Amino acid sequence: MNIATFAARNIIRNSHRTLVTSLAMAFACAMMIMFATLMEGLVAGSERSIVAMNTGDIQIHRFGYRDNPDIYDVVEHASALAAHIREAGFNVTERQFAFGLMASDDSASGVQLRGVDLEFENSVTELDQHIQKGQWLATSDPHGVVIGKKLARLLDVQLNDELVFVGQTADGFMANDTFYIRGILKSVSANIDNAAVFMSNQMLRELIALPDDAHELVIMRQDNQDLNEATQQIQMIASDYEVLSWPKLLPVIYQFLETAHVQTLIMMLFTYIAVGSVVLNAMLMSVFERIHEFGVMKAVGVGPWQLIKLIYAEMMIQVVIASVIGVIVGGTASLYFQQYGIDLSTIADDFSFAGLALDSIWYALITLESIVMPVVFLVVIAVIAVIYPAAKVAMLKPIDAIHHV
Amino acid sequence: MKHAIVDLKHVSKIYQQGEVQVKAVDNIDLQIQQGDFAVLCGPSGSGKTSILNLIGGLDAATSGDVILENTNLATLSNAKLSDVRKNRIGFVFQAYNLIPVMTAYENASFVLELQGVEKSEQHQRVMQTLQEVGLKGLENRRPDQMSGGQQQRVAIARAIVTQPAIVLADEPTANVDSHTAESLLDLMQKLNEQQGITFLFSTHDQHVIDRAKRVIHIKDGQIESDELKA
Repeated sequence: MNIATFAARNIIRNSHRTLVTSLAMAFACAMMIMFATLMEGLVAGSERSIVAMNTGDIQIHRFGYRDNPDIYDVVEHASALAAHIREAGFNVTERQFAFGLMASDDSASGVQLRGVDLEFENSVTELDQHIQKGQWLATSDPHGVVIGKKLARLLDVQLNDELVFVGQTADGFMANDTFYIRGILKSVSANIDNAAVFMSNQMLRELIALPDDAHELVIMRQDNQDLNEATQQIQMIASDYEVLSWPKLLPVIYQFLETAHVQTLIMMLFTYIAVGSVVLNAMLMSVFERIHEFGVMKAVGVGPWQLIKLIYAEMMIQVVIASVIGVIVGGTASLYFQQYGIDLSTIADDFSFAGLALDSIWYALITLESIVMPVVFLVVIAVIAVIYPAAKVAMLKPIDAIHHV
Repeated sequence: MKHAIVDLKHVSKIYQQGEVQVKAVDNIDLQIQQGDFAVLCGPSGSGKTSILNLIGGLDAATSGDVILENTNLATLSNAKLSDVRKNRIGFVFQAYNLIPVMTAYENASFVLELQGVEKSEQHQRVMQTLQEVGLKGLENRRPDQMSGGQQQRVAIARAIVTQPAIVLADEPTANVDSHTAESLLDLMQKLNEQQGITFLFSTHDQHVIDRAKRVIHIKDGQIESDELKA
């Protein structure tokens, strides 16, 4: 009889214990697969929110602008620089910013005007597809604006309501104009949600008298290009300015996303330590109730390593059963969450982390790693948990074991 | 000419029970010859099973030499001792001690499998042995599907299928009725007479003692008498 058959028959002897142990392992495996795929989804969704909604891959500013955003700290001849970068194979758009006071019929709030290049913005970000109400900006409607969702609430305004802006021009005069709300954004980030008023950069340039300069250039690299390589390339083109990739622009979020895998591993470790104790307990019970039998086997010539192999084979059969169930259950659930997500809007309207708005529907993302890692972890923990019972069996003295009751 | 398979020289075994030392085997000299059908008999606690355990390499002597087929067991590592038990000794226990998840066939072939004997040869030897012990047709029964006598026959088959130098049988008839005990003894006697298999029993069952060719009386760990029957 081969060892696998022998082991299989042994674990069937106490089918209840085998079932409970295997199901405990399968449950943990399924949970970990779901957790890992949801974390993958969170990371991918967050990266998408960061890069595609606002930040882009790389940004160019005048040195010091980010710390103290002064209307005069501009990237000069921004259109020419953008054209140069475009020639190098990147998608790029210019942005201008101004601060001031925006008033509705009933309320007023400090705002940040954000002038966007309507020709190129959608080649860099997906803001135009992130509209909650109304529509994105149009060149034919220069006084149309799109505002953040919390600002809309703050100003108590609806689509097509009138807003009056009062601020300062780049040449030191007062800037004021009337705008009409054409769209309200879904949640993007705390800054945008609370204070952003998007308009065409042509309109903003006229409003603040900033003819050819920009405060920010946002760049998106090609899909397969390395981010550091692309940043260096842009730095060479815009050597007089501060060129930063998104991880440098948003270090806290980058660190969070970078450590997401570590969080998954730590979660797995704790969960599986609990599972390991179940496996250890089950295998110890299984060993203790068969000590006499192991003694007889040793007496007739079974060596310590053969007994260790038998104990491990019994454990591995249960791990394989648990892994198959875990992958089927966890994989199916993850597939569902990848398709439909978990709707968190019933808990709260908005979710954000470090100023970054997260989608209220949390989607999973199935990757090979997110399926394989929980299974590998399960095997490793089970192998560790069985060391003690296996060693105990290996070291049994046949004479003591035979007389064990 | 017969030769000594087992040779015990000045063998003692002392067990420590708390602060008390118990001398289970007290400086004995004993030889078991090839083809012997010998019985170690004596009251409970006299040291019979301890002597069997020492000969079987299940336990180590406190002093003296236990020599099996010219090999001093004290010089062997645990792995080598395991090999000796696997290849040269057959065990029959009082409580049968079959592996419960294995059929009669699998229990009998288990040690052959450990020895690495080819499947076809295993099959031939196991089937022949099961026939010899009267279990033809019961090959696929598991221990819980057999009577005590049948289980002990499987245990005997497991012990002799490897063609060991000696079969050590510890109270083999203690758990069966007298009728079954007689038939088991018939079987072992037949194996001894026809195949020359050496048997050493530990027992206080008079049926076994009556059948033995050699009776060794043990008392307080010492050999009180060693009689060869005519």
